[in-house]
Amino acid sequence: MTVDATTKIEIDPLTCTGCGLCILSCPADVIRLDEAAHKAVVAYGKDCQVCYLCEDDCPEHSITLSHDISNSRRFSTYDQFGLKI
Amino acid sequence: MKSTEMVARETDVLIIGGGFAGSWAALRAAELGARVILVDKAYVSRSGASTLSGGITTCPLDSDDIDVWAEEFITRGGYMCDQRWTYQLLEGQRARVKDYESWGVPISRDAEGNIRRFASRGMINVRGMQYQPKVAMRELRRRVLDLGVVILDRVCVTELITSDGQWPTSGSVAGAVGFNVHDGQFIVMRAKRTIIATGMIAMKGTHRVDNDTGDGVAMAFRAGARLVDMEFTFGGTFNVLMKRYDFPSYNVAIAHGARLINARGERFMEAIDPVRLERGELSQVVAAFAKQMIDGNGPVYIDLRHVDDTYWSDMAKIHRGGSILMSEHVPDPRVHPLPIEPTWGMWASGRSGLQIDLQGRTNIPGLLAAGSAAKNDATGTHASAGSPTAFCNVSGWHAGECAARESLEDQLPPTPTHVFNELREAAFAPLGKPVHEKSADALHDDLARLEASVVDGMVLSGDRLQAMLEVTRDVARLSGEIAAMDLHDLVKIHEARNVAECAGAVYQSGLDRHESREQFFREDYPMTDPSWFCWHGIRRGRDGVIMERLPFPTEGVRFPIRNLDSGLGRIGAIIRGETPKGGAP
Ligand SMILES: Cc1cc2nc3c(=O)[nH]c(=O)nc-3n(C[C@H](O)[C@H](O)[C@H](O)COP(=O)(O)OP(=O)(O)OC[C@H]3O[C@@H](n4cnc5c(N)ncnc54)[C@H](O)[C@@H]3O)c2cc1C
Ligand code: SF4
Ligand code: SF4
Repeated sequence: MTVDATTKIEIDPLTCTGCGLCILSCPADVIRLDEAAHKAVVAYGKDCQVCYLCEDDCPEHSITLSHDISNSRRFSTYDQFGLKI
Repeated sequence: MKSTEMVARETDVLIIGGGFAGSWAALRAAELGARVILVDKAYVSRSGASTLSGGITTCPLDSDDIDVWAEEFITRGGYMCDQRWTYQLLEGQRARVKDYESWGVPISRDAEGNIRRFASRGMINVRGMQYQPKVAMRELRRRVLDLGVVILDRVCVTELITSDGQWPTSGSVAGAVGFNVHDGQFIVMRAKRTIIATGMIAMKGTHRVDNDTGDGVAMAFRAGARLVDMEFTFGGTFNVLMKRYDFPSYNVAIAHGARLINARGERFMEAIDPVRLERGELSQVVAAFAKQMIDGNGPVYIDLRHVDDTYWSDMAKIHRGGSILMSEHVPDPRVHPLPIEPTWGMWASGRSGLQIDLQGRTNIPGLLAAGSAAKNDATGTHASAGSPTAFCNVSGWHAGECAARESLEDQLPPTPTHVFNELREAAFAPLGKPVHEKSADALHDDLARLEASVVDGMVLSGDRLQAMLEVTRDVARLSGEIAAMDLHDLVKIHEARNVAECAGAVYQSGLDRHESREQFFREDYPMTDPSWFCWHGIRRGRDGVIMERLPFPTEGVRFPIRNLDSGLGRIGAIIRGETPKGGAP
């Protein structure tokens, strides 16, 4: 079990207006503003806790989160007991 | 990083952490005319567990007989509480529910417009309600700003200031220091009263509350504050669905009629708690899950085919994450039971934490605590669904009131100024260190591994506790040696140290307790020993750690205290396949 480096969050640069609301929303400090491009960017993707706060708060619906990758350090008891589900 | 310049602020009341506990404390203190600073590592209203909680809270209304509710909390918690706190919680929460109603926080209602209530998990008479915690947090933010509270968002607090510059202190707590996580500004916040409201103690990457790393609890512990019942921190909930997906809320689902079944289709809780079934005491349900795994009866499924219609409508309205059930990522939950598993780790949530009195005061002058960072003395070691947030609201409110009243009659304690420079150096030290083979992430991996297995975490022993304690000591030591790449990384190093110190206190408390009780089960001491019917304190003295056994208060007792526990506790009985008898029901 190590931190999962896969990015769970994507921000669409075409629709993002750089309003910064998602940067305020993120408890894990994952998102920052690219000041030159005036767009939100994923700065610390591996720290995303998949809490959906940014996706909910984005007025442009520019953020997509992947359901397929859950908390990064998650461990399954089913793996411990060799149970396939 | 732009600067590490130092700015100083002075206030009457400093509140560290802006979840329900910290925000209610800020609201109450400001109402009473105190100058208040509310500081948070993230953005108040979009941070900690409060915003992300399942939205169930204890809901006593004027028409309810509080005595019946209090008796249930007191007896289910094995009388291991302060009964005055139980009443204070219920009466205070009545008022907080009315506040939410008047603020227009959305609450699930029936066709007549009355609050829809349901039996809380673990309870028969106590009722909870379903509301929108995100909206409640947004309202709290707006209201405290209107009252003139200064909110400092994105400031990671690193240490408490003590009047004598010593940790542990023989003087008082006089504020705290921290740095802005975006620009590196170092902030000295001198205060007459400081309230710790930093929430739960969670390993990062496991519970979806990654900024609740027990920072305030660890800082207070370093300053000499007493923690109690740390070994009861172990706890969890069924939040993992099919190994990968977060299940929005077990508590909500079972309140609406969801069942747990094993691979043979058996509703295994029938044998353990025939009355409350899946709504039984959570640690007993988790133990029953562990037993199914040990006996080869896994996987365990959540069966949502029996829930009522309001479950699906509340889910769509209140739970963002709820959409996973409808997302086609999982088989249709209306037709198929879905494999589910619990997490079982450190997250306190009231079963343990900083010891406080009825006003929220700790044993250190100038220092108060509220919410999940504090031990919830209203319900003892038992955490029914909804009582953690109720305790946050009410303990926050009382701590805010006490801190405001006391600070308005007091002066700012003097602190030697060299202390601020030393604290700044300590806060930024990892930025100047040479690159180390271990990263901050690697330290958090080591910590998360400690609570990885629900089965191992539930069935403890002296050897296991000792091995876990060694890991926390290594992590705490390494956190003082490794390098931070930037400010974001610096936060994670401080967090690793704090989780490690809190976890160390948990394992040390567990090692000291030579018995099993409530959710704490040691294979090497499986029996409950009546001489352990007490609060179990741990604090730092000048010469090392001091363990204490403290009697429960007899003042204000409405229900005569009974030392129920003897024999094999409930968890032990479930794991060994015996019918649970002893211990709290
Ligand atoms: C997924 C989940 C679901 C839950 N569901 C329910 C439920 O339905 N009902 C219920 O009653 N309880 C529930 N709980 C428990 C409940 O949410 C918590 O007990 C409660 O929200 C804690 O509130 P708090 O104010 O003490 O802390 P939090 O809301 O966690 O706030 C603590 C704050 O402190 C800040 N902080 C931490 N360290 C620092 C630092 N060093 N410097 C500055 N700030 C810092 C954090 O950023 C955070 O904002 C749930 C918990 C979880 C995790
Ligand atoms: S909230 Fe949406 S629009 Fe605003 S900065 Fe973030 S992604 Fe861009
Ligand atoms: S899902 Fe949560 S943690 Fe992840 S980027 Fe969005 S707000 Fe941050």
